[in-house]
Amino acid sequence: MITLEINGLITSVEEGTTVLDAARGLGFPIPTLCHMEGLSPYGACRLCVVEIGEGPRAKLVSSCTYPAEEGLKVRTASNRVLRARRVILELLLATCPQSKIIQDLASEYGIRRQRFKQEYDDCILCGLCVRMCQEQMMAGAIGFRGRGETRSLGTPFDVQSEVCRLCGGCIYVCPACQLRCTYNQPEKAVCGGCANLPPPCAEKEPFDDMMCYMDPCVACEIKKKE
Amino acid sequence: MSDSPIPQTVRRILECHTRESGGLLSILEEIQDEYGYLPEEALRAVSDETGRPLVDIYGVATFYRSFSLKPRGKHVICACLGTACHVRGTSVIVEELERQLGIKAEETTPDNEFTLETANCLGACALGPVVVVDGHYYSKVRKSHVARLIEDARTGIRRETGEPETEHRDGTVESGRPETPGRLDTIEQFHTLRARLREANDPEQPTIIIPAGTCGQASGANALIHAAQREIGTRGLEQRISLRVTGCHGFCEMEPSVLVEPGGIFYPNVDEKDIPRIIGAALDGKVLTDLCFEDPVTGERVARQRDVPFFRHQHRAIMGQNEKMDPVRIHDYIAHDGYSALADVLAQNRPEGVVSEVQESGLRGRGGAGFSTGLKWKLLAAQPGPGGKYLICNADEGDPGAYMDRCVLEGNPHSIIEGMIIGAYGTGATNGVVYVRNEYPLAIKHLTAALEQARELGFLGENILGSGFSFDIRLSKGAGAFVCGEETALIRSIEGKMGEPRQRPPFPIQKGVDGKPTAINNVETWANIPLIFRMGAQAFAQVGTTGNSGTKIFSLVGKVRNTGLVEVPMGMTIREIVHDIGGGSTGKARIKAVQTGGPSGGCIPAEKFELPIDYDSLAQAGSIMGSGGMIVMDENTCMVDVAKYFMNFLKDESCGKCFTCRKGTQRMYEILDDISRGAGTPDSLNLLEELAWVVKDTTMCGLGQTAANPVLSTLRYYRHEYERHIHDKRCDAFVCGELVGAPCQTACPVGTEAWRYVALIEKGRFEEAYRVIREPNPFPSVCARVCGHTCESRCRLGTTGGDPVAIRALKRFITEHIDPSVYQPPRFRRENPETVAIIGAGPAGLTAAHQLSLLGYKVTVFEAGAEPGGMLISCIPTYRLPHEVVRREIAELLDDNITLTCNTALGRDMTLDGLFEQGFQAVFLAIGADKSWPLGVGGEDRRGVYSSMDFLKAFNLRGEELATGHVGVIGGGNSAIDAARIAVRQKNVKSVTLYYRRTDQEMPAYIDEVDAAKEEGITLHTLVSPVKIRHIEQAQKEGVKVQDAVSPVKIYSEAGRLTGIDLVKNRLGDVDSSGRRKPVPVSDSEFHVPLDTLIAAIGEQPDSDGFDDMGLVINRDGTVKVDPETLATGRPGVFAGGDLVSGPSMVVDAIAHGQKAAAMIDRYLRGADMKVTPSIMHPKTYVGPCENEEMTEVARVALPVLSAESRKKSFAEVEGTLSPEQARCEARRCLRCDLLFTQRREREPEPVGVRESQT
Repeated sequence: MITLEINGLITSVEEGTTVLDAARGLGFPIPTLCHMEGLSPYGACRLCVVEIGEGPRAKLVSSCTYPAEEGLKVRTASNRVLRARRVILELLLATCPQSKIIQDLASEYGIRRQRFKQEYDDCILCGLCVRMCQEQMMAGAIGFRGRGETRSLGTPFDVQSEVCRLCGGCIYVCPACQLRCTYNQPEKAVCGGCANLPPPCAEKEPFDDMMCYMDPCVACEIKKKE
Repeated sequence: MSDSPIPQTVRRILECHTRESGGLLSILEEIQDEYGYLPEEALRAVSDETGRPLVDIYGVATFYRSFSLKPRGKHVICACLGTACHVRGTSVIVEELERQLGIKAEETTPDNEFTLETANCLGACALGPVVVVDGHYYSKVRKSHVARLIEDARTGIRRETGEPETEHRDGTVESGRPETPGRLDTIEQFHTLRARLREANDPEQPTIIIPAGTCGQASGANALIHAAQREIGTRGLEQRISLRVTGCHGFCEMEPSVLVEPGGIFYPNVDEKDIPRIIGAALDGKVLTDLCFEDPVTGERVARQRDVPFFRHQHRAIMGQNEKMDPVRIHDYIAHDGYSALADVLAQNRPEGVVSEVQESGLRGRGGAGFSTGLKWKLLAAQPGPGGKYLICNADEGDPGAYMDRCVLEGNPHSIIEGMIIGAYGTGATNGVVYVRNEYPLAIKHLTAALEQARELGFLGENILGSGFSFDIRLSKGAGAFVCGEETALIRSIEGKMGEPRQRPPFPIQKGVDGKPTAINNVETWANIPLIFRMGAQAFAQVGTTGNSGTKIFSLVGKVRNTGLVEVPMGMTIREIVHDIGGGSTGKARIKAVQTGGPSGGCIPAEKFELPIDYDSLAQAGSIMGSGGMIVMDENTCMVDVAKYFMNFLKDESCGKCFTCRKGTQRMYEILDDISRGAGTPDSLNLLEELAWVVKDTTMCGLGQTAANPVLSTLRYYRHEYERHIHDKRCDAFVCGELVGAPCQTACPVGTEAWRYVALIEKGRFEEAYRVIREPNPFPSVCARVCGHTCESRCRLGTTGGDPVAIRALKRFITEHIDPSVYQPPRFRRENPETVAIIGAGPAGLTAAHQLSLLGYKVTVFEAGAEPGGMLISCIPTYRLPHEVVRREIAELLDDNITLTCNTALGRDMTLDGLFEQGFQAVFLAIGADKSWPLGVGGEDRRGVYSSMDFLKAFNLRGEELATGHVGVIGGGNSAIDAARIAVRQKNVKSVTLYYRRTDQEMPAYIDEVDAAKEEGITLHTLVSPVKIRHIEQAQKEGVKVQDAVSPVKIYSEAGRLTGIDLVKNRLGDVDSSGRRKPVPVSDSEFHVPLDTLIAAIGEQPDSDGFDDMGLVINRDGTVKVDPETLATGRPGVFAGGDLVSGPSMVVDAIAHGQKAAAMIDRYLRGADMKVTPSIMHPKTYVGPCENEEMTEVARVALPVLSAESRKKSFAEVEGTLSPEQARCEARRCLRCDLLFTQRREREPEPVGVRESQT
């Protein structure tokens, strides 16, 4: 057993436990987008960062990949952590504004506007779908391609994969767009369904949806574009 | 191309690899070699054969930059985007390649002839900008070379340089095989072989050594080798002289070079035809002085390599070995103590002693972070390793701007191998891997050969030298990914996966390659290991400073004179490296900063150059050591652009796994790009800084955690540059293209469209050219003679390594050939025009008067002197600017709206209150700056001592010749040079000497003027410095002597008349904030100079006494305080400009102030808004490109000038005019920076915020 301190509480966990699991075991909430039980930890979205160490050696690490160490001191919601999460959420909103999960998280962290140029991607490259496909479905139909800003997700050569069983697991786990399955070309392994998301506030009363607190309102932006 | 079906070929390739256990990367590389790209079918075949999912293989193939999934063209042109190339202007070359090929980078022409690629660093940083055409290196490429380079690719001709792969290199691999086949089975056998080799090695035998690393070969070393082989062969000298081909010696700027032993005679920049002479001299034991290195400071020829300043200050423990051996001859290495450290270590039979020895040496990892090597080894030794342990040599030198690892691998591969074997022995490692980036073909080749030789002799493999210890090393090639320098990514790459870093812990020491304990050290670290064991840990630790022992190799590149690899003890200051070894700046532009540590590092400003170079000091200054890239930046480097460059690099090189690294670098680039285009807002900086901190904080690996450093360090030291881009829309370094437009136009204080009149001259449309010149500038003929021509200083032809277009000479040509009446300015009429008083009829005042008159105002110009013209008449010598030219131009400006009142001075004859009472509604003050600063040493009231202004005025206005006998002039500015040149022409003058406190390289005077002065025989007394020696010689022709680095301390006189002065010698001290080195007096160095005349010309200031009583604010230097945007003083209706505001400046600056004052007074009188929003100046009018492209490669035209002899004692104008043919020919040299904007304008609307250039 390994003993560590999280937000001042001392806890013992089995060796190999991640800091995320240890913290959640104590009831401390840590937001994640790329983490899912049953899939291997990946550490891509960086939302789960926590502060470890003390003084000048204190640093942020992703709790989903960092193993619990003997005597480790963890702070899951220090100012430094919260500041970082806010900027990450702002970046996520700027990239993938249609995601309800991202919107809700942003709202929870008090974000009312995002300051970057608005993009309308439908993927944050969290890799849940890749791991779902590989580790749970044992298919390996989709994977990452390229690197850096041209990194993308899809099948080799962008053609329908021979090993894909159209199980829909990738869509099920996706945090960026829950509406993929409504896309009108199901034969394509990775669709762009999110792009067809109608602005929620167009159908509801104004300010009914939290999205409308945001400046600029993402859905309205899309509508304006059209 | 293979004819057999793809799956068969793949199977064949895979078969070879199962035996060699090579990773996926080398399999893909072989497939690419076979087909030129990776066909889909081949990747599917690899998946089928290996059973690895296709998605993995496809991921790897798309992750690494050197793999292509699309067929490539017949010829591949690859431009290096490394930092050193970037600051020397690669982007211009890429733009030109794209334009001429008609494709974008990473595309192939439709006819499949050319593919244009870019690489993030090719490691030939001293030669930038570098372009590689089908594997052939072109160095120092300029825009005008591009057409020829494409032609070379098409025709397959290899010009200038030899091919990197030449026959003799192949041959030596063969000849480098041990003569006694079979391995060395015992340590004794090794010692016997070594003794025999040492005996055979005669140090007295004359030897010609030619460095032929990648840089050397690109500069022409192969031609030298061939010439030497020919000469030795035809003369049958094989027994009398040896030829040794080695790796790089470090002084890349002087390649190709030849070193002659014994004696260490160094011949830089050798021409092939001189080889027979060098061989002859070597045989006779003589030195060819004319070919030796010329010391730029003293002008003396230096024969021995170790006396050359570049080498003198170095401590070449590692680099020094390169010249001793042919890298592919293991016998050379053994003869020079190679493998003796290994033999000793094995003989002692104490592995734990190895680790403690390295710990004792204090060696820290040379890859960047500076982790203790001994500690790392200790940790590895302590790991249980039932399945084996790995040692890795990280030769993935991806830092753009660093290439020392390449040089060691190419020049001394056995030192790495020996280091690794010793390491393995100490730590119990079983497997070694050298991970080399594939951009280094020569290094891979030499290393492969060296590994083979070491294995053959029994240094690698089972039971090494009979010790019972076994270890082998294999080579693993990268495929173009910077992130693979990170240790966990490197391990994945070796395993044949995408180079994605992973979470540490577990650290590689615990779980590395294939899950086995692994220690990774950088090339330079490994190269240090044999040295530690040869000299002993304590001796090693003696070098450098405590905690930072040993030497470090830096690649000193960028805007520095002596580029190359320098090896210095840790703790040397940056100043010593940049100035003493590097020789300082390449030109007149001051060095502003050095960038260390590549994309993970930061910039260190010139003020901090006293910082000792070690891991800890650099980290404190906000940078890192990195692998040792040191890129020197001068005033022509824009820090916003540098940050943007690194973000562009990182957003491509980030693996893309961590969201904050991938998106963060993209967004930082986006913000920086906005700023560089003038679209930044004050909020941009806050957002940029906030984002930078979060990226630093929240990413997983070293790449991400340091990715923000270029932004944070430039923000820390150069925030003002960012603000200048955001608020004023200006890029003072003239780099950010969208803010610069055409540099000649943007650099001009009055915004003259220089590109346009140059283009019109090329087309022979001279009258139009005159109108373009005249429109913004009422003094074209004056400026054609005395302008400081910032247009030429900023001309892209000059800033990219050539000579700028002679713009001022072209202007002179037009003003001489065209009648001014071809330009009729538009005039406005005003009912009841307001009246404006202008004080001072110099260029500022007259320009303002002219512009206000055109706008319909009534203007009265008050002049204190007897005639208008100000400085143009009273101070500028007539041999530069004849009075009749000034008078003619002024006469054309005066009209009915302008009343000129001479002999009336403000303060003496009138007051501001009085002017307003007289009914003037606005006043413009432009009285200039004509009061000389006193020397401040006492005795300046003696006869024979004059201020420069008094001296110049006395002569120019009244014809009085005040100078007699021996004349001394103190100062280095324009008025000092003017005074010296006038004095030398006066009748009773015997000699003229100019005394300057710094060196003439720091002189503020226009360099042309210093040159001309020296031609006329003026002695310059300065710390005589390198580049300007040519100019000094010219000036001396006119009879002026110059002494620099001296300051006056005392004036002697007899009976009230000057007899002489005492001067003290100065040395140059530390660099001050202006980037110049401060003169520091040398104690007890006073010396006496008898003089008859002394002219003090150390500076001028405005004569603004009493102005504060009139309600104006006066600065400490006598200038009047104004709002720089509007030129308005604190008093309503009163404006000021010219030298009165700016201090002594160029004529064209005064004209610009006059223009601005007129515009602002107009707004003021109309009650309009005075606020001007800054705007960007882009070329507007389209003028077709030069149709005769062949003619563009000619040298800059030489201006006709009077001979120095006929100039003495004569006031005739020195400079002449070009002929129409000369002018048109010169105009053709223009690079036509305007076309980018004017052609785009024809296609698409102009971005917001760009104003019309003609206002």
